[in-house]
Parts: sequence; structure tokens; C-alpha cells
Amino acid sequence: MTARIAAIALNTFREAIRHRILYLLLVFAVGMISVSQVLSLLTVGSEEKIIKDFGLAAIEVFGVLTGVFIGVGLVSREIERRTVFTLLAKPIHRFEFVLGKFAGLALTIVVNTAVMAAWFAVVLAVRGMFDPRLGLAVLLLLFQCLLVTTLAVLFSCLSTPILSSVMTLALYVVGHLLWSLDLLQARLASPLAKTACRVVYYLLPNLGNFDIKGEVVHGLPIDPWLPVWAAIYLIFYGSAVLAAACAAFQRKELQ
Amino acid sequence: MSGGKGPRRLLLLAGGGALLLAVLVQGAIETRAAARPETSPLLYLPSGRYLDVAAIGFDGLLADLIYIWSIQYYGHYDIADRYAHLDHIYRRVIAELDPHFIDPYLIGALIMNVEAKDPEMALRLLDTGIANNPGRWVLAFEAGFICYQDLRDYDRAAVYFEKALAAPDVHPLVRRLRAAMVDKSGDPRAALRLWIEIHDTSDDAYTRQVAWNHIHDLKVAVDLAELRLAIEAWRARHGAPPRRLAALVAGGFLGRMPADPEDRPYRYDPARGAVDYTGVPVVGR
Amino acid sequence: MTPVLEFEGIAKNYRTHLSLRKYWILRDLSLAVNQGEVFGFIGTNGAGKTTTIKVALGLTFPDAGRVRLFGEDARQPALRRRIGFLPENPYFYDYLTGSEFLDFHARLFGMPAADRHRRVAAMLERVGLGNRGDRQLRHYSKGMLQRIGLAQALINDPELVILDEPMSGLDPIGRREVRDIILDLKARGRTVFFSTHILSDTEMICDRVGMLVRGSLAALGTIDDLVGREVPFWEVTLRGLEGDGLPCGEIVSRRRDEVLVRVESENDLKRLLALCNGRGPGLVAVTPARRSLEDLFLRETRRAGAPQENKP
Repeated sequence: MTARIAAIALNTFREAIRHRILYLLLVFAVGMISVSQVLSLLTVGSEEKIIKDFGLAAIEVFGVLTGVFIGVGLVSREIERRTVFTLLAKPIHRFEFVLGKFAGLALTIVVNTAVMAAWFAVVLAVRGMFDPRLGLAVLLLLFQCLLVTTLAVLFSCLSTPILSSVMTLALYVVGHLLWSLDLLQARLASPLAKTACRVVYYLLPNLGNFDIKGEVVHGLPIDPWLPVWAAIYLIFYGSAVLAAACAAFQRKELQ
Repeated sequence: MSGGKGPRRLLLLAGGGALLLAVLVQGAIETRAAARPETSPLLYLPSGRYLDVAAIGFDGLLADLIYIWSIQYYGHYDIADRYAHLDHIYRRVIAELDPHFIDPYLIGALIMNVEAKDPEMALRLLDTGIANNPGRWVLAFEAGFICYQDLRDYDRAAVYFEKALAAPDVHPLVRRLRAAMVDKSGDPRAALRLWIEIHDTSDDAYTRQVAWNHIHDLKVAVDLAELRLAIEAWRARHGAPPRRLAALVAGGFLGRMPADPEDRPYRYDPARGAVDYTGVPVVGR
Repeated sequence: MTPVLEFEGIAKNYRTHLSLRKYWILRDLSLAVNQGEVFGFIGTNGAGKTTTIKVALGLTFPDAGRVRLFGEDARQPALRRRIGFLPENPYFYDYLTGSEFLDFHARLFGMPAADRHRRVAAMLERVGLGNRGDRQLRHYSKGMLQRIGLAQALINDPELVILDEPMSGLDPIGRREVRDIILDLKARGRTVFFSTHILSDTEMICDRVGMLVRGSLAALGTIDDLVGREVPFWEVTLRGLEGDGLPCGEIVSRRRDEVLVRVESENDLKRLLALCNGRGPGLVAVTPARRSLEDLFLRETRRAGAPQENKP
């Protein structure tokens, strides 16, 4: 089974690497350098914080965009282009197909993020601003990106790319605002409403778990167990989403 | 005409021409806009607490961008009435978005104090910064300095410098300043204690020297004050100042006879009942 | 002998988004394909041939009925180890080269690396793409794509090969090559099930033929059976026929003063010949002819109902 998933994953990886959206990496590299050079003209005070904020934000945004825009087409485009027919006529389970596609994209994202992080580290090191804790921040951003990608793959099994991107990006935004849901449920009076609120809160992806940008940039203390818990959350929640995706694809009529 | 070459060149030329016209129009728009007072929608940003929601996790970056914008904006000296929203931008937007971003507190306070000439506004901003970042001594230091230099409120300055001392990595200057503020606010005994403490606990020769200089003069002041108090008490009892200073000790008006820092007695003029220091003050008070 | 591929009472419908009415693509379809035969599955465009094949492969799910592969429930993926499939107008990952593409599919069978290399090379040779393995599929012509598609379908040396419209869009040389491959497979004892709307393709190579009309089998059997069962008809050439009056038969064509008339039954033939006695038209020729598969097909289609737009 793993051999088949691996074959599809490698194929997906190869296709994603040739995708034009990866030119974003180049944009990132150039952008980082430009920002770090130009900043001294624009701001008063330490540029270090601003450069780090920019770098982390860019890594997060590019990672999520890559995951979403390639992810939403991962399954739907194969169905649309009918390349999936020859694949599924092989002795392969439908869920192996979905997992293989996801694995390939995940690998792509890991490579992308590593490249961006390495470049970021170089730019910082040249100016003496490097902080190893940034690596931890990037790792958590990678986890977040992978989680968002599982959502993109789920929607890819359900709907067209345009609708799927809108839904996935909406969940990305909502995932960062769950703290407001928490506040809301504290203020609600009716226990039924409170429970409904809590249910929704737990069902939605809690992306705040992966955000330690502020703490790292400001040098504030970080709970050492946080990355471990975040990884565990990714594994469980991500598996749930992928299981749903496989289930959706299992009964999908391929016209 | 060959294939698509002719029409293609024409199209590119036309496109380039249209772009040129668009650029000229943009220039005209900007000239007109310059005639009107500069207003920027960023002046009317909602409070940082609401922006926080919109920022979806990028509040640090958003604070950076607004800060960079504010530097450009407040650098435009030709904009009249540009300080109207100063407090809002720094204290209620940037500080709410990223409470640990230190530069805006400092620069904002600078602009508020020096350019907008409103030191109380600057102190409110710095108070926010201190509350959010108790470990950053520079904020309390700035606040203390404003109290000292612009408001000449030495008590308040001393309180700020003391807050600054809570940070573990505080610059030694701050301790000296605090001692100086306590002195200026009219409590030479407390100041003397502080300077002695500074002298005894610092391993920096320069600091010890400075401390010693202050201790010298403060000791004189404290001693003279003590002596004068005793003389007045004597005068109240006996109707006339004592003929010798030693009598004050014998009569119980003084604990023991202080000597000056050079270990000489203080000069006493029994006719007037005035006591004086014969040496030269080091710092001058 | 268990049939290699068997459909039992397959029914499939779908609903368009806007209406609640069900549209039946397949109704009660039952047929069995035997080991070693070449089976032609014919029908018009939109008759449901592709849907039938998709049901067999688990790409679509029937609303009723069962499909069996090699005697077992077709839904088990492991059975597909013994099958090869080429879809109609296939699309492949066009950034891959021919060899990479075949290698990828070979991997899905779990073939170890050495075997894969051999099989890929052998398949490329067999479909005549031996020296084009290193070009990207995006640069392949339609004929080359069809050939690489065949190579992909045969890479695991399957016992049953399913082809959906394998000759569509090919030039005569291409069609000839596909026919040769099918015959070669038969010679090796493999079973081939292919669908087509071009009847002449089947007449030359199929052992048996199934005719799909409006979702169910209108006819099934060897070509000889189907066509041979048909009553032969006669083509009578008359000269000098006056007017259009004929007691029976229909005029197929005219040439100068000769007409070609077609009569369906022996009685009608006798009546027509009787016309020629005496001062009637002259008799030039009388030729018995067999119907072609096409005729059968047209008749069955017309019988099933006025030609409606069958396309979903």
C-alpha cells in the first residue's frame, strides 16, 4: 500500500515543483532582501523586529497560498482532466489516491518552507540578527500550513477549485479568530447556546495554536511543550480532515 | 502586410501611448491633491483592539506598517495640524496591536514631547509602555527624563527612575539619576543614603567617583542642617546661640559632633550663630 | 468456465441539477464476456457504453445490479491487477515523458525496479514508440497518445483488456495498428472487451458483439448469428420502369433508365418479378444480399423509439 501512495506522492511532488506558483519563492527571496535594505530609510529605531515580522509573515502567507491554490486543484483537476480514470483502474484503493496526492503536496510545502527559511536565516545572519528560536516559529507555521492544506484537499474532493479556495481561505481566517468565539460563549446566557458555541469552537481548526511569531520576535518566553502539543493537534485534526476527504472521494461518481 | 507583425507593433505603441497619458494624468491629480490639506485615512483607524481582529495573526506586522507610515507622516513638517491624532495612533492603535513593540513608545513620546509640546501626552504613552513591558527600563527612564527636564517635577522623576530600576539589566546611570532626583526634590538625607548605597555596591570606578562627589557635598548639607537645627533648639531654650558647638553635644541637643568630609570641624560664628563649611563643594548645590 | 466479465441487471440513472426526474442511462443490462474472446460493445454516442465500462471498473456506482470480474465482486481493487484499461480520449500528465509515465503506472502494480525498466522498454517497443520514450507527452500526437495509452493498459500483461473507443480519432494506419494489437492479444489467449460506434471495426475482429440501445442490450451474439438470422433481401435492377408505381419494395437508386429496387421478402420478390412479365419493365439483375451490422443497428435503434437526444 505504501508503495502505491509513495508513487502517487512522488508524481504529485514532481508536478507541483514545476508549477508556476513556485516562482513565489523567487519573489520571497527578492522581497526579503529589498525589505531589509530599504527599511533603514523608512523607519526610526531597530529594524530587527520589522525584518523578522516581514520574514515570518511572508513565509506564512506563501506557504498557505501554495497549499491552498495547489491543494484545491489536487483532486478536482484530475477528475476534470480525466487523468484520474487510468489511475483508479489500477489495483489501488481510492483512499490511497487521496493520501498520495496530499503527501506529494505536503512534501512540496516542506521543501518550499525550508528554502524560504534558509534564505531568511542567511539574510538575518548577514546583519547579525539571527535567532534560533525563529526556527521554532517557522516549524509551527509549517504545521499550520499543512493543516490548511488538508482542508484544501478535503474541499478538492467536494467542489470546484474556485469555491474550494474561497472556503479554505475563509477557514484560514476563521481559524485565527476562534478566540473571539471563546469570548462569545462566555457572554452567552443560555446553556444551549453556550454548548452550541463550544461545539463549533472545537470543530473549527484552531490556528492560533501555531502562532508564536510575536513571542519569538519580542524574545518573550515560550512554553517548551507548545510545539509538541501543536504537532499532536496537527496529527489528529489533520487525520480527521483527510479521513473525511477519503470518505468523500470514496463514493464520488466520476463522470 | 506580413502576418501579425504590423498590427502587433501598432498595438504595443498604442498601449505605450495610453500608459504615458495615464502617467501624465496621475501627475496632474497629484498636483491638485497637493493643494488640499493632507488627509490620510490611516488617521482614522479604529482602535487597535478592533484592528487585532482584522489582522488575523499578523498584528505585529500591521503594527510595523502603521509605525513606518507614522514616521513618514510626522516627518512631513508642512502638514498643519498633524498632531491631532498623535495620541490615538500611538497609544490606542500601535500599542494595542503590538504592546511589546518598544520603538513606537519612545519615538512617539519624543514627537509628543518635543514637537507637539505635550509632555503629559508623552507620559501617558510611556505609562502604557511601562505597564506592558515592565522589564524594559528604557521606557521608565524616558518618562523620568521628561519629568526631570521638561516638567521639573523631581518627585515624579524619582518614581519613574525607581520603576526603571526593577529591570535586571538597567544601566547604572539610572541609579545615579534617581539619587539626583531625590536630592533635587529636597530630601538630602534620603539622597545621601542612596549615594552611599551606589558607592558601596558598584564595581565601576567612575560611578564610585561620582557617588563620592555627591556624598561629599551631601554630607556637608546634612551635617549643616543637623547643626542648624540643634543651634535653633539651643537658641529657643537659652535665648542666644551657644558659644561653642561642643556645647550642643553636652547639652543633649546633638548626638555627636559631625566633622566635615576632610575631617575638620565646621566653622562656627557664635555671634551670629551661623555654621559653615570651610572647604570647597565638589559638585555644587 | 466462469466469465471473465459479467454484468447482472445493471441499472444506472442520474438527475440533472434542476429537475427531479431521473434519467436512466442503463436499464437492466446483463451480459457476460468469456475467456479468450474479443467482444465488441457497440452503440451510438451517448448510449451508455462508457458508463457501462466505468461501472465495471468501479469509477461509477450502479443503482442496481452487480458486476463480476473473474467470478468475483468487481468492487475489490485487487482484481484490477489482472485488468488493463484505456479510456476514451485519454488525458495524461503531459509534463511526464513516455517512459516516466509508463514507469509511474508500473509502480502502481508494485513492480520492482528491474522489472519495471524491462516492461517499460518492452511496451514502448510493442506499440511502436521505442525511440520516443524520452519525449514529454505534451509533444505527442494524437496517434502517439493513443499508443502510449495502450502501452499503459498492457503494462501488467493483463488477462482482460478493456478499451473505450480505442480507434476514435485515428487515421487508417492507426486503426490498423490497434486492430493488430487486439488480434495479437487474442492469439495470446487474452480477453478483449472494447466499445465503439464504428461498426466496421467490429466486423473484422470480434468474436461476439453486444448492441446497446437506450440503456439495454438490443442484440447479443456472434456477428454471424445476428446478421445471419436476418432475412436476406434482394436487390433487383429493372430497366424502363414507367412512373414510380411499384407494388412492393423501395427504390434505392436510379441510373439513366435503370432503377435499383430492394425487396425484403420472398413474396415481395415474386410479386416484383411478376411485374416484369409481359410488357412491364425489363429485368437486368436479381441479387440476394445480406444485411450488414449497420442495418441491424439502425433498425434496432429506430425500433427502440424515435431518435431522442440520448446525451446526458
